[in-house]
Amino acid sequence: MYLEIITPEEKVFSGEIKLIRVPGTKGSFEILQNHAPIISTLEKGDIKVISSSGKEEHFEINGGLIEVSDNKIIVLGEFI
Amino acid sequence: MAGLKEIRIRIASVKSTQKITSAMKMVAAARLRKSQEKITRLRPYANKLDQVLHSIQKALEGDIESELIRPREPEKILVILVTSNRGLCGAFNVNVLKKTLKLVEEKYSKQNQNKKVSFFAIGKKGADSLKSLHLNTEGINTEIFDDLTFKNTTLLAEHFMQLFTDGTYDRIEVVYNQFKNAAIQNVVTETFLPLSFEEEQKETGPMLDYIIEPNSRYLIQELIPKSLKIKMFKIIIDSFTSEHGARMTAMHQATDNASDLIRELSLHYNKARQSAITKEILDIVGGAEALK
Repeated sequence: MYLEIITPEEKVFSGEIKLIRVPGTKGSFEILQNHAPIISTLEKGDIKVISSSGKEEHFEINGGLIEVSDNKIIVLGEFI
Repeated sequence: MAGLKEIRIRIASVKSTQKITSAMKMVAAARLRKSQEKITRLRPYANKLDQVLHSIQKALEGDIESELIRPREPEKILVILVTSNRGLCGAFNVNVLKKTLKLVEEKYSKQNQNKKVSFFAIGKKGADSLKSLHLNTEGINTEIFDDLTFKNTTLLAEHFMQLFTDGTYDRIEVVYNQFKNAAIQNVVTETFLPLSFEEEQKETGPMLDYIIEPNSRYLIQELIPKSLKIKMFKIIIDSFTSEHGARMTAMHQATDNASDLIRELSLHYNKARQSAITKEILDIVGGAEALK
């Protein structure tokens, strides 16, 4: 799946990934391949991303929004 | 005709002015490019947010509980003028002021008579005009352009949301220069608060069957302030970019004018020199003739 993490000022991450874990408002959740379409607000917390090559990356956010549809994930983040 | 020396001095002074204006043009062009990049980087975020906001708003069919979108009887008005801190950018700031005064006269003349219209100036030039016109000033902000980040414009946006929600003002309008391209800036008026959805009715396509967490109502309440913050950021970046565009155009014109002036002065100078030489030769020939 393809992930983009963007802020109003820059693109923080873009690329193919295997897994993403985000701090959703209703609790932290993970998204894998072929996840159902979802829109959720995000809380302050940590985003974990595992890229296709297996590399793990973390991003600290201060809230935001995630949209998943058709294996395309967009995170609109607010950073501190 | 002025003496040779005077013309020479004028040419030198025009040339040095030309150097300054062409340097300023170059600086403005560089800043313009940088500023334009900011707009480009903001676009994906703003578009996505807009799209989500619109589709959810449509799904809720206007059933939204938010103080920030509910229109009220406009009794107390705040007009925000977005201008620049520095001058030498043509009619950039004057246009904003003109548009503001026109807006107040046409749309809010009743409120203005009751002294219920206040102004907020972003940028030093706007603050100066408010002062010289003795207008009712809510506040000024001139620091924003020193460090133009999303964080700083967010503080500003939050300040305005506060003024709106606590009932200090019933409507907040923004007058600013919208960036078209380096040569064209449009002065536009936008209603900042209450937020309305009607202005951009573009087709977002059928909404996919999304799972919405926690729920649509919560989501939209979260998104409305976000969208306002983005709007504020966009307005200020637009104005900042326009400012550089306007300055670039103004300085380009000034440089051209200086070239014309130098050409004209050089012509005068050469003519004066020629006639001085002719006169001298005539004198010598006349003197030699007399000696014969």
